[in-house]
Amino acid sequence: MRHVNLKLFALGLVLAIAGTVKAADSDLAKFFKAKPTEGKLSIDKVYSLYLRNSGAIMNKNQIKGYFLLYQSDKIDRHTNEYTLQILDENLNKVKDIKFEDSKSISLLESAYNGSSISFLFKNEDQKTLDMKIYDFDGKLKYTYSRDFDRRTDDLMKQYVTMRTDEGTNRNVFDIGDEGYASVLPLRDGKQRTYELDYCSSVSKKQFTYTPEDAEKFAVAEVLGSTDSLVLLDVLKFTHAGKDATSHLVGINIYTHKKQFDVATDEDKAPFTPMAVTPLDGTNDLLVMGSYFESGANVMKDASKGLAIYEITSNGKIVNKTLNSWDGDFSKYLTISDKGRIDNVGYMYIHKIIHSADGKFFVAGEGYKRTASAMGIATTVLSGGRAYNGVTKMTITDMVVMQFDNRFKLTGATIYDKPNSSALDMTGMADMNSQHMIAMFLKSMGCFDYDFTTGDEDYSNFSICYSDWERTGDFKGKTFTSIHYNGKKFNVDKLPLKSKASMLKVFPGKPGSVMIMEYFKKDKRLDFRLEKLG
Amino acid sequence: MRGVVMRLILGFVPGFIFYGSVLAQSTPAGATAEFVPVPADASLLNKLSDGYQLDYKEESTHLPSENKKDYQDIYDERWKSIKERFDKQEIYTDPAAQAYLDALVTEIVSRNPVLKATPFHCYFSRSYVPNAEYIGEGIILINMGLFDRLSDESQVAYILCHEISHFILHHQENSIAKQVETLNSPEFQAKLKAIQHSQFNKRAGVEGLVKGFAFDSRRHSRDHEAQADSMAVVLMRATRFDLNGALTTLALLDTVDKDDFNTAAFLQLTFNSTSYPFKRKWLKKEVGLMGGTVQPEEGELSDSLKTHPSCPLRIKLLTPMVQSWNTPGRLKNVIDLSRFDRLRERFKYEVIEYAYVSDEYSINFFYSLELLRDRPNDPYLIAGIGRVLNGIYDAQKGHRLSKVVDLPGPEYAANYNLLLQFIQNLYLEDLASINYNFLTPWHPRLDHLTVFKTAYEQSAKTAAL
Repeated sequence: MRHVNLKLFALGLVLAIAGTVKAADSDLAKFFKAKPTEGKLSIDKVYSLYLRNSGAIMNKNQIKGYFLLYQSDKIDRHTNEYTLQILDENLNKVKDIKFEDSKSISLLESAYNGSSISFLFKNEDQKTLDMKIYDFDGKLKYTYSRDFDRRTDDLMKQYVTMRTDEGTNRNVFDIGDEGYASVLPLRDGKQRTYELDYCSSVSKKQFTYTPEDAEKFAVAEVLGSTDSLVLLDVLKFTHAGKDATSHLVGINIYTHKKQFDVATDEDKAPFTPMAVTPLDGTNDLLVMGSYFESGANVMKDASKGLAIYEITSNGKIVNKTLNSWDGDFSKYLTISDKGRIDNVGYMYIHKIIHSADGKFFVAGEGYKRTASAMGIATTVLSGGRAYNGVTKMTITDMVVMQFDNRFKLTGATIYDKPNSSALDMTGMADMNSQHMIAMFLKSMGCFDYDFTTGDEDYSNFSICYSDWERTGDFKGKTFTSIHYNGKKFNVDKLPLKSKASMLKVFPGKPGSVMIMEYFKKDKRLDFRLEKLG
Repeated sequence: MRGVVMRLILGFVPGFIFYGSVLAQSTPAGATAEFVPVPADASLLNKLSDGYQLDYKEESTHLPSENKKDYQDIYDERWKSIKERFDKQEIYTDPAAQAYLDALVTEIVSRNPVLKATPFHCYFSRSYVPNAEYIGEGIILINMGLFDRLSDESQVAYILCHEISHFILHHQENSIAKQVETLNSPEFQAKLKAIQHSQFNKRAGVEGLVKGFAFDSRRHSRDHEAQADSMAVVLMRATRFDLNGALTTLALLDTVDKDDFNTAAFLQLTFNSTSYPFKRKWLKKEVGLMGGTVQPEEGELSDSLKTHPSCPLRIKLLTPMVQSWNTPGRLKNVIDLSRFDRLRERFKYEVIEYAYVSDEYSINFFYSLELLRDRPNDPYLIAGIGRVLNGIYDAQKGHRLSKVVDLPGPEYAANYNLLLQFIQNLYLEDLASINYNFLTPWHPRLDHLTVFKTAYEQSAKTAAL
């Protein structure tokens, strides 16, 4: 059993000296476990290591390893020493990178591109976001900094939430082998926009893409990236919060310009993209999202179904396939008149999976409005003067859909899970479009979907989400995977029963998850890999 | 991992003991008789453990009064570790094997009267690890994983003498005393206090302190090994054993990590079937993060931190003693070569069995395959592989795999790592089908073996899911 056991005190140093994490069981380690006679000092009384951040290192949607950022020392009043420990996908220690920096930095995200590894730090003192890129020897190659201010508050709030889609990477992506991009949502009062930073890992080059004036009221969500493009779902507002158009935007990191901006309502049938995946064997992209009736307002109206667009790398739409709620979906699911799936509500698309056998699978998750007791009460008590929203958003079941190679729906299954309330949604729930709400829910980490892990060719894959088990021998939080083995699906539940003060599940190598447990009393962090059943 | 010993036994007529074998007359063509492990004698183990517990309690009353609690904590830990060896039935209780070991020990003790004053006890450990150790309370263990690689009794004698030397020279107890005294010394406490009061750069201070202790501790450990080597030859000199056993043992230990088992080729050969062909992706290894495979850290510090001197250096130090004291007429085998050979043969299987019962499935799987390469019709190995693959299946399904298989890591040999990668790459349906197709050719020929029948039926059930 690989059982990495990192003591948060002097054992960390023993590990550093002895070279491997397994050295925690060495005679030296035992020495430092020993307590001296009462009243005398021991190492753990005078020195501690603190874990500041942890996360997964990804490349092309595959887990390559994990990072742990420790505060290992204080250098002066303003400066700390940090140790960035990098583990591979089997939890073997690869490198310890030591550096000194402001005492108020935090590590936001990491990415890996096959030739370098990047870390995005937030420096509270300097008010900067710093992208540090290291080579294979753990030497710092480049540091790129940009200021942050109150306009990035929304982004910082996102980072506070524990759970993120696809592991940790929300805003930082490896772009080919040559650099990294980060997309920053910006908000200034009611004005919303975004910026994209690109940092080269092969030479000291950086650029920031800022949308033109027409996009000053825009909300962007990263859909994915290719070797040269960052793909965004952008909602542009003509009047803040009222009329909006949905766009699929591709930004070319080599030309530093927008490669395309597909207004998805050109034919008056709006389309709101939710997920994108490259089409194997071509340079084309497959984009999936909700489509609306011709002339509909995406901020208000219900969608008609799910559309799948094939677009070229220049943004030209070469094919559209529509799957309607009342026609295609109703063969497999019970659909209400407003495009809602019974007991599921609206559906958000998390992942498109093009499996090795040529099929397309799509992982979706339901969300719906439900009555908010608090919203109703406060609205009634104020006599309607203070409208606090009488509904709240609830996250419902997982839905896995299957499409043929012409992108027509051939099957859909609902995987039941207990509903969970999305917090702090009163007010918003009544004011915005279903798509806008879904974007907000996603950005705040409200969905139960965690990630999809699988072979590189997706001959096997597991769609993973957090769940609760209320029956049977075990009652409590579970980590559930819907596994496809190339022939059929089966569901596996991993009970998250633990005596740990904190437990977190990270994506793992194909077929596995990594479980991190923190035992506060013992000041101990355990990491283990578990294969999904 | 396992060394190259397999080649030494090629062509060897299996002479291992068939404990209660039912196959003497009825072995089907293509299959040989099966090995049956010696069951652990639980009551004997409890009795022994209880006896040593009394020794430990008695020893506790004689600990130094100064810093007594520190001593007590460490001796408690040591006892806990000893007791665990008995509780987990690691100690081999086969009377015949114990009698043989006792005979070897008697040859040493009877010719070294000094040893009669300080009684100690030697046992075989069922561990696969090629090692021997003095574990405290006068107990010396020689692992089956080391014994089965030895070529004659003089090597066993040297290993026993080496561990006896650690015991009579009180190396372990001296190390404990040094640790306690260092930790509580005014100098060490003063340094810790200075670090505690320093606002900045505590890590550097603590690291300096740790390094100093580590160098000192490991240097003492290397000194202890050198002392035990020399004392072992002194003890052997009084016996009839060939003193060259010391040098050949150290030479063997120097290559004990080398292994020629081609895991990839044998996995493909063993688990390829018409109905479930071997898939190359089962052997696929991820390209390592940041430039390749993780390597154990080497460098300036590593030599200073080794607990043992290098084997070539140990050989160099001992050679003058051996050459000067080794006289003609000394024997490589004094007690009974045929018993020695039978035990070596049996231990190859016992370590596999113990790895299984102690939930070390990946170790069991590796050694089973390695032995199967040379004994492709061995019923115990075939049934055992079916059993362990079912165990891996169950563990994966029950999310316990990390408790029974190792993860690939730089500390392991390449061929063992490849087996670990193979296990990691298999999904449940692969495990079930691989196992079913592996066992099917032996059905119903081996159905009379309970382990085989159970494994086969379970694999048929899971493969059909």
